[in-house]
Amino acid sequence: MPDTKETLKNRRGFIKAASAVTAATGIGFPYISRAQDKPIRIGMPTILSGRVAQLGISSRNAVLVEVEKFNAAGGLGGRKIEIITRDSRGKPDEAANNTRQLINGEGCEIILDAESSAGAFAVQEVIRELKVLCVHTNSETSSLSADPKIRVPTAFRAARQGIHDAIVSATYAANVAKAKGLKTWMSCSPDYAYGRDNTSLFLQYLKRFQPDVEMVGEAWPKLFQADYTENITKILQAKPQALYSALWAGDLVSFVDQAGIYNLLGQTNMFAINMADYTTLTAVKNLPQGIHSASRYIKTFPATAENAAWADAYKLKYGDYPTNWSWENAVAMSYIVSAMKKTNSTDSAKLADAIRGMKLKTPFGADGTITMRAEDQTTVGYALGWGTTIPKEPYVPNVSPGDWKSIFEHEAEWKKTMGYA
Amino acid sequence: MLACFSSASCLVTQTTGGLISGMLLFLVAAGLSLIFGTLKVINFMHGSLYMLGAYFAFTIYNVTGSYTLAVLGAAAGVGLFGLLFERLFMSRVYGTDVLMQLLVCYSFILILDDAVKIIWGAEFRSMGMPAAFQRPPIILAGGVLPVFYLFLIGVTILVALALGLVITRTRIGKIVRAAAVNPTMTSALGINTTLVYGGVFALGSLLAGLAGALAVPVRSLVSGMGFSILIESFIVTVIGGMGSVAGALVGALLIGLVRSFGSIGFPLFTDGLMFLFMTVILITKPSGLFGKEL
Amino acid sequence: MRKSSIGRDALIAAALLVLLAALPMVFPSKSFSDFVMRASAFAIFATSLNLLVGYAGMVSFGHGLFFGLGAYSFALLMQKLGTSIPVAFALTVVINALVAAVVGAICVRLKEIYFSFLTLAFQMLLYSLIIAWTAVTGGDQGLTGGVPRPPFLGVRLDDPHHLYWFCCTTLVVSLFLMWHLVQSPFGYTLRMIRDNPRRASFLGIQVWRVRVLAFIVAGVFGGVGGMLISLFVSSAYPDFAYWTVSGEAVFMIMLGGINVFFGPLVGAALLLVLNDFVTKVTEHYSLVLGVIILIFALGLRKGLLGFVVQAWKKYVSGALATEKSARPGRN
Repeated sequence: MPDTKETLKNRRGFIKAASAVTAATGIGFPYISRAQDKPIRIGMPTILSGRVAQLGISSRNAVLVEVEKFNAAGGLGGRKIEIITRDSRGKPDEAANNTRQLINGEGCEIILDAESSAGAFAVQEVIRELKVLCVHTNSETSSLSADPKIRVPTAFRAARQGIHDAIVSATYAANVAKAKGLKTWMSCSPDYAYGRDNTSLFLQYLKRFQPDVEMVGEAWPKLFQADYTENITKILQAKPQALYSALWAGDLVSFVDQAGIYNLLGQTNMFAINMADYTTLTAVKNLPQGIHSASRYIKTFPATAENAAWADAYKLKYGDYPTNWSWENAVAMSYIVSAMKKTNSTDSAKLADAIRGMKLKTPFGADGTITMRAEDQTTVGYALGWGTTIPKEPYVPNVSPGDWKSIFEHEAEWKKTMGYA
Repeated sequence: MLACFSSASCLVTQTTGGLISGMLLFLVAAGLSLIFGTLKVINFMHGSLYMLGAYFAFTIYNVTGSYTLAVLGAAAGVGLFGLLFERLFMSRVYGTDVLMQLLVCYSFILILDDAVKIIWGAEFRSMGMPAAFQRPPIILAGGVLPVFYLFLIGVTILVALALGLVITRTRIGKIVRAAAVNPTMTSALGINTTLVYGGVFALGSLLAGLAGALAVPVRSLVSGMGFSILIESFIVTVIGGMGSVAGALVGALLIGLVRSFGSIGFPLFTDGLMFLFMTVILITKPSGLFGKEL
Repeated sequence: MRKSSIGRDALIAAALLVLLAALPMVFPSKSFSDFVMRASAFAIFATSLNLLVGYAGMVSFGHGLFFGLGAYSFALLMQKLGTSIPVAFALTVVINALVAAVVGAICVRLKEIYFSFLTLAFQMLLYSLIIAWTAVTGGDQGLTGGVPRPPFLGVRLDDPHHLYWFCCTTLVVSLFLMWHLVQSPFGYTLRMIRDNPRRASFLGIQVWRVRVLAFIVAGVFGGVGGMLISLFVSSAYPDFAYWTVSGEAVFMIMLGGINVFFGPLVGAALLLVLNDFVTKVTEHYSLVLGVIILIFALGLRKGLLGFVVQAWKKYVSGALATEKSARPGRN
């Protein structure tokens, strides 16, 4: 192992020197010809086993689609991208260790971090120390990019973000509450960082947008809880008119199945932010009609040909529809590739400069573009909205999109109150 | 929480809710306890057997369309698996350090989790409710009782009664109890302890598989799903007393009720509450509520 | 049962330290020094558990309590109170000793498997507390924002070389202290209690007190391991207090050899190498690791170092404190 490490190190040194020369002389890339056959290694710490294995699998699938395109088009002056994944099994310290291994051991020049939130914060600390370009793709926790104490110059987020979701969700929920007269609310979310942050932000904005709603209770099942009976009976007791839930994937499926036999969803309007993702929609047998959900990923929103084509190509290749994680990773990969093309380099600092503020044409943008906002190095302008479910495709036929102008206003104010700005 | 006790509908719903959670827990914990009582080993892969039961039932139901077949097939299949595991692997580490037994079980937790992922895929699965149970819940004194859960409670009570009868009333039960107290003496009396050990392990596994199969209409399946039930049934067994089936029943219902009412009183610390309960029991009566004195 | 001389051992330890410190010159890759730093933390942790399991016959399932406590105490002292590293180090040792004294006093009264359960229950209580007390611990997310590493006495731990040397020194000093402890009369008392507690108590030994003392020592060194890991990853995670950490430490001990002092050290290094290797070559991490553990548990019961040592036993005699006969089975 030490030997390869040495050559890799030398190679990196050589590339740096070579790019310095090309930059100085303005001759262009022929000078890095020696490095041409060496692939550009991108390290991808993620979760490939255990209960959230699908996160890693559907993330990687999407990344590989982009990489194939890039490599088929000739790569970066002949250099092709090679993706090296490492499974953290969902453990943050393992995520940190894998990231170090990928950079120090495998010679990865770029990190595409497809860990969930806890892992992403661990990866962030490694990036702070090793200063390699990193794009987080699956962590939605706002503080990762919003908190200046946590921010790192070479680390970006290409994913949806909690605060954006909360504002859009609360706006939608407030409108429904007004129209249908939903006054009593309850929440049932998984008891961990994401579930708590997501839910408290949502309720905070719901109260602001529709002050006459009243909270009549909250249920906090564990993450990955098998049996929701205790929570369901608690909700039955409180008889809320509406229920907000940040449960996701298998947990949401179990909850909907178990709530079904208590006929809970017949009495309460459910707002499940994570329902509209294909794996969840297709896993629930007898998907109830009329569950309100945010668009995690569905191919009909945004309703463009590009979006549908991307989803269909993915399905053709892998047999399943893409997930929310897939589009986030596709965007991240597009950013990396665009920056490499723009700078003709794999140098982390240069790539970071290029990505900062970059506007990208993509099927997942609300207006066909997504921007990597320079001030906090996170994506904005992606498509997000809410709608209600039907039991068959397209599952959520009408999605009312969120308004980015309103998101920006409330987000700026939120940052002030949090002491982030 | 106090308000709940003054409302009949709340009491009915929360109590039945607690009983239901406790019932499946009992099936898993009873197997764990039975195995410990007789073989003196802690089967740390018991949760994985529960997972296997769920996946077996899922597949049989999808192929045959019969939930009855699915439950019976899954229970029998897991029982057989348990027998093979005991004969081929576990029996090799009897009499060694408890840590060796722990390692063998741990290795199987890992292997089975990955095997399930390879065979059934990494994404979670859901079977859906069999048509026979797709009917509105029964309302009793204002409390809500789903039909499927009534069936579940019925099956578990039958199993508990059958277990109790076999252990206290039959010759097999006597042998099992004797083997638990003094294995050398039993084998000196000409009783085949190998057979007893294999049989008890198979029975314990069968119970875990049965629980998995009964859970599958309402719980999503995923690799690693056996883990949380292992921890809970482990707590139940310690509280009830290792080796006591009656203890497992009481412990399981107790934990079910603690969770059910605890979710109203302390929603954020229900887990810590269980461990606290277990700590207190171990300090005050290490052998558990129904265990034999040390 | 020759008592080794402190002077000679100190010399060996110093030589070892120089050797470790010089290793990066031979293996200059960063991933090698990363490996040594992680291994130091786990080696101290596993060796401290073996004080209980191997020497005192107290099979703790909950030793991760101290790993997690050490990591969180240290990281929180550094992050929230901004203390200097030596002060945080010392305070963490005190905290771990106090907690170990209380938990130990309660746990050692129980026999065999019930002792194991109760230690596990205490560990899971700490875990539940870390998860629930989000305001301080960051909950399941762990501590975010990094652990500061201010310089002290000319040592700058934000420099990777300094951090490397610091980890090596802590490893060697900890092992040296534990080695001395097991070679001391106290160490022999532990072994006597393990093999025959009744005889020990007939000889006038207060078994209960000796066990609590062993529990405290193991808890303190377990905490030192936790401190190193939190320095290395610049954070603390609930996983450090989860039962799987205890499980891994048990496996490290078994892998290296329960009856050899340096078994856990070898086991820790082996498991980390194995871990990195398996993660690297296959996506079926669990399957491969599971099969390896199974083969090991059924085939190589004395641990790798155990086998080596057995072969050399004649030459090194009592000095390595090998116990040829298996410890009393728990059946």
